[in-house]
Amino acid sequence: MAAARADGDEDPRSPRTRLAEFLDAGSMKLISPEDASGMLAATGTVLGTDVVVFASDAAIQGGAMGVKGCQVVVHAYERALADGVPVLGLWHSGGARLAEGVVSLHAVGEVFAIMTRASGVIPQISVVIGPAAGGAAYGPALTDIVVLGPHGRIFVTGPDVVRSVTGENVDALRLGGPEPHGRRSGVVHVVTETTQEAYERGRALASLLADQGELDVSTVADLDLAETFPESAKRAYDVHPLIDNLVDDPQASIELHPRWAPNIITTLSRFGGRTVGVIANNPMRLGGCLDSTSAEKAARFVRMCDSFGVPLIVLVDVPGYLPGVGQEWDGVVRRGAKLLHAFAEATVPRVTLVTRKTYGGAYIAMNSRSLGATKVFAWPSAEIAVMGHVAAVRILHRRRLAEVDEAERAQVEAELAAEHAVLAGGLQRAVEIGVIDEVVAPTATCSAIARAIAQAPQKRGSHGNIPL
Amino acid sequence: MRPMATQEIASDLVANVASVTAQVGQRIAAGEELVLLESMKMEIPVVAEFAGTVTAVRVTAGDVVQEGDVVVVVD
Repeated sequence: MAAARADGDEDPRSPRTRLAEFLDAGSMKLISPEDASGMLAATGTVLGTDVVVFASDAAIQGGAMGVKGCQVVVHAYERALADGVPVLGLWHSGGARLAEGVVSLHAVGEVFAIMTRASGVIPQISVVIGPAAGGAAYGPALTDIVVLGPHGRIFVTGPDVVRSVTGENVDALRLGGPEPHGRRSGVVHVVTETTQEAYERGRALASLLADQGELDVSTVADLDLAETFPESAKRAYDVHPLIDNLVDDPQASIELHPRWAPNIITTLSRFGGRTVGVIANNPMRLGGCLDSTSAEKAARFVRMCDSFGVPLIVLVDVPGYLPGVGQEWDGVVRRGAKLLHAFAEATVPRVTLVTRKTYGGAYIAMNSRSLGATKVFAWPSAEIAVMGHVAAVRILHRRRLAEVDEAERAQVEAELAAEHAVLAGGLQRAVEIGVIDEVVAPTATCSAIARAIAQAPQKRGSHGNIPL
Repeated sequence: MRPMATQEIASDLVANVASVTAQVGQRIAAGEELVLLESMKMEIPVVAEFAGTVTAVRVTAGDVVQEGDVVVVVD
């Protein structure tokens, strides 16, 4: 590689080439020396937004992080913190430099420490374009958003160590490639098909978080948001078309964790010209139930948006928490509590829309009035209850139903359910007691949400964004 | 991602099988509904991720499936 440079050819893997490719053309200014440290940092712009970017040098010891290289990263962070701009890392590194021993471990630890100090203060985005192992895995993991290119592999210990310790035969792709991290582990927020696309996503994310714009209510046009819903209220559907209809430009949306816990959607987009975070139950997956993983995914998203002042739009259609031994043992109580905590703590404008139904504990968790929602809207046909009416009467009238002939039971159940619906009050009662602020028509919803966000105090949380 | 030769399509959750539309030998498109499940007061379709031919249907209406149970195999 060094020889190629001496010939004057650009090594496509050189950090200088990568930084230049990542930043807006002509905007790169190096802020660290081009030496053998294994890291290079620069200031510049992405889509016109000021940022600091660093890249590991894959050509030197596989991008391993030594004392000098870590100092480059720490310096890059200090600069980004001083300027109040996003910091991005282009990762291709085998982790701490073995040859340097424990001093390199200490240096990598200092990188983690400043990442944590910067957490929730400035946006941190990692673009993993090659292997990122050990310390280089935890670096990205501590940041707000991790983008993984096709050659990106993230793991604490590589295939060789795994094989020698556990006897498991696995290659780097299956251990830490796009499939495991995109679908199983939740380590990666965005998986891309090409390295170029990984850069584009990283740039767009920096722009969304740092150049948020102001919400201009007059640019938000109303349309019939209910048109993407199936006729039957019981029928599952994909919630993406609803989000696409709501936001300014679906092409500008970036969904985080699309394949991990797909029963809840977390998307950054623009609404009325302003960056917003959209959270939506997706009935197409697990019926839209909350479960331990989806609650954790949403909680982290809420906290990230809150720490950077990004308002939240919460689209609710949730039948409850997913029941099951697996869920309980998986810590749905502990992990579900994260979502309650995240919403209750959030100070950004956060507006809820109940489209079809919201039941039980999941009703509370999905940014309810009780957790401090800015506004809670519901469509006229929305159902709000502790549980579905039929399920409720099966519990409330268990004995009476047991006495009824089996042939008549469904009929009696239906009658009791109708009675119960009136008693429990549903939507009307929810409006009376103020837990629903307003019933809005699907054709007037976009503008109602826009006004609610625009009129709310534009606050921002003061907390870090621990990778929940 | 490498294309998969065979897809075993499993249920995400415990559910009752409400209806089965897939038939062995049937050509299906990506996103096509194969089986309709009922759980959590919802009708949840099981859909094909990729186009292919149905080689096995492992459930009938009225069955109860557990999380991870394969309901349809597509080649």
